[in-house]
Amino acid sequence: MKRLAYVLGLPALLFAGWFLLSDGSENFYAPPLRQILRAFADTWTVERLRTDVIPSLLRLAAGYTLAAAGGIAAGVAIGLNRRLRAAVEPVLEFFRAIPPPVLVPVIMLFAGIGNGMKIIVIVFGCVWPILLNTVEGVRAVDGIQIDTARAYGIDGPARIRRLILPAASPQIAAGLRQALSIAIILMVISEMFASSNGLGFTIVQFQRSFAIPEMWSGIILLGLLGFALSVLFRLAEGRALRWYDGLRAAQRRS
Amino acid sequence: MINEAFQGSGRHLYASAGPDQTSAVTKTRGGPLLLGLAGLAGLLLLIELLPRLGLVDEQYLPPASRIGAALADEVTGTEFWQAIGDTLTGWAIGLAVAVLAGVTAGILIGSVPVLRAVTASTVEFLRPIPSVALIPLAVLLYGTDLGSTLLLVVYASFWQVLVQVLYGVADVDPVAAETAHSFRFTAWGRIRYVLWPTALPYVFTGIRLAASVALVLAITAELVIGTPGLGKLIAVAQSSNAVPTMYALIAVTGLLGVAINLLARLAERRSLRWHQSVRGEIPA
Amino acid sequence: MLEVQGLRKVYRSGGRETEALRDLTFKVDSGDLVCLVGPSGCGKTTLLRCLGGLLEPTAGTVRIDGHEVAGPPPGLAMVFQEYGRSLFPWMSVRDNVELPLKQKRLPRARRSTLVASALEAVGLAGTETAYPWQLSGGMQQRVAIARAVAYEPATLLMDEPFAAVDAQTRADLEDLVRSLWQRLRVTVLFVTHDIDEAVYLGQRVVMLSSSPTVVQDELTVDLPAERDQLHTRADSRFTALRTHVYEQIQAAKRGRPTPEGAV
Repeated sequence: MKRLAYVLGLPALLFAGWFLLSDGSENFYAPPLRQILRAFADTWTVERLRTDVIPSLLRLAAGYTLAAAGGIAAGVAIGLNRRLRAAVEPVLEFFRAIPPPVLVPVIMLFAGIGNGMKIIVIVFGCVWPILLNTVEGVRAVDGIQIDTARAYGIDGPARIRRLILPAASPQIAAGLRQALSIAIILMVISEMFASSNGLGFTIVQFQRSFAIPEMWSGIILLGLLGFALSVLFRLAEGRALRWYDGLRAAQRRS
Repeated sequence: MINEAFQGSGRHLYASAGPDQTSAVTKTRGGPLLLGLAGLAGLLLLIELLPRLGLVDEQYLPPASRIGAALADEVTGTEFWQAIGDTLTGWAIGLAVAVLAGVTAGILIGSVPVLRAVTASTVEFLRPIPSVALIPLAVLLYGTDLGSTLLLVVYASFWQVLVQVLYGVADVDPVAAETAHSFRFTAWGRIRYVLWPTALPYVFTGIRLAASVALVLAITAELVIGTPGLGKLIAVAQSSNAVPTMYALIAVTGLLGVAINLLARLAERRSLRWHQSVRGEIPA
Repeated sequence: MLEVQGLRKVYRSGGRETEALRDLTFKVDSGDLVCLVGPSGCGKTTLLRCLGGLLEPTAGTVRIDGHEVAGPPPGLAMVFQEYGRSLFPWMSVRDNVELPLKQKRLPRARRSTLVASALEAVGLAGTETAYPWQLSGGMQQRVAIARAVAYEPATLLMDEPFAAVDAQTRADLEDLVRSLWQRLRVTVLFVTHDIDEAVYLGQRVVMLSSSPTVVQDELTVDLPAERDQLHTRADSRFTALRTHVYEQIQAAKRGRPTPEGAV
């Protein structure tokens, strides 16, 4: 019960504070929370969720999964080959340093402004942390485990599946986490730039037409989305890396 | 961009081969550097050849030489340097504010257990909110002024610093803390002699991560909103179909990002060298 | 049957050459338990890795049952000193022990039997679903030994397996190795820096010089086959043997080989 109080206490307080403080607000840019909430209910109907939010999420999912699959596969291949890694790493670090939203104009050249463009943007933006973290994770696999695998004749695909990938998975998970934030940002930006539907597009429309409470409701929805995805990720990660948490806890105790 | 600092997977004295080596232990000192340079050269070659050989449309990807020429063009003009100045101004101010706020909030929240428990859920909720969600708000409030850039930069960078500082404070050696307690240090004394030295490496990690994030958000703001800076130049180049210039500017942002990252790592190493010797004095 | 002939290993690192092993020649007959002792830094681990096919020698040969070793040979299992790191932390105890058997493509029923009997033999029946990091150091090393045992190897190489374990546990593990060796009739090569352990365990003790390493001396342990921690170690013959080994090691550390004395 105490835990519940801690978890909900401050947010509830802030929410109530916002509600009360903004109640009589005349400020154009900061309407009363009451109004925003009403706009939220009015705007984000099931219909709109279907036409705007779902497509955004689908594009996000597609781009993210492609980036994950490609990034991990390439990362393992590069991480296992010392020469290749040395040659390719500066190039990868350079690409990673490019602010992802900048890719939107570039990719618009190639791919126009359709769904393809948005998915490509997400892939190209968020593959780098996955790739680089996989390379690092593979590189850092414990030498003794490598020797053990060799001694028992475990090599090839079996070695990758049973040793390399699990050993590198904490590092890969970190890369996937970073990539998720980047993917969300790119999903929104690619829609703000050039789109006919989607969450980012809708919010920008509201802003351009000065529908302020609706705009705020969109921002809140985006925030909720970001939060929900982060929680989902954390759950999946916790499940997959339970062994790692246990290992670290045991190491800390010793 | 959330980047959990991965403290390396432990040093071990077992002199064995990693997964990418065979039995022979070969260590060529300059090898990796040469390979890296070769890789970069290879990339440039690729970008030069692909359009020239017609494998990629020249409209979409101009050859590297043409991009280089556009870059030279930019560099000789004043607009380019003005833009870099604008970008770096927004970046620096935003970063400074975020670091100050993040460190203060982090130490405050971290050292008072009740505060920590109470704010945990709020931090976890606000942190993943994509800063780009604030773009419409920024446009309304500040238009194309520096304020828009700062709003996005500060919001995104603050969380990077805060999270790291919280890790740092949580990492305090309980033995050291108890020792300070038994010596009856004041709150300020505890912060100064136990908390701060432990948290310092984490603060630097947070600054390094925030520095990258700050650059990305600064350029994003300029690109999407149109505040002055490199991002705006890129948007202009794109809309006027000056494709080589666009690529050149994008390359510059990449180089800027790499430079900032290297500088941050350098500063981190330099300061922590000092820090390590100070650490020896802490009762542990 | 393990035959080492003129084994030599030179490390090259950035222009510098380190001769870890100069010239090693010795033999281990099938089914024997031979201990290798030497001063620290004498390349014991290098030697074992060469024997296990994990490291390529610069010169000389290693033969197992007549076949030259060029890569990890089948029928050979290794137990490392760093037990905590050689077990895979994402797998349960059972999965860890079973993994090499899966690689051998044994049918499921056979694998289950082997895993169960191996864990029972090391006294860890009932820990199948636990994770390595949930177990104590001694238990983790037992899991590593179980893994080696389940593999049904003809040859077992052990690289200072008990160096990182506390004395009490070490005594139990030493007895475990001897009993397993007697039951399974494996050829065991046991590397250690602990002189008492070498004499207690082995049928023969091979003493190594300090780097660059050669065989300093060999001696046969003529203690009874039934040994126990209490009585054997108090035996006068045991004391005489360990004194001899100790003197040899001291001489090795000083860099002077003493003539093989009659003991």
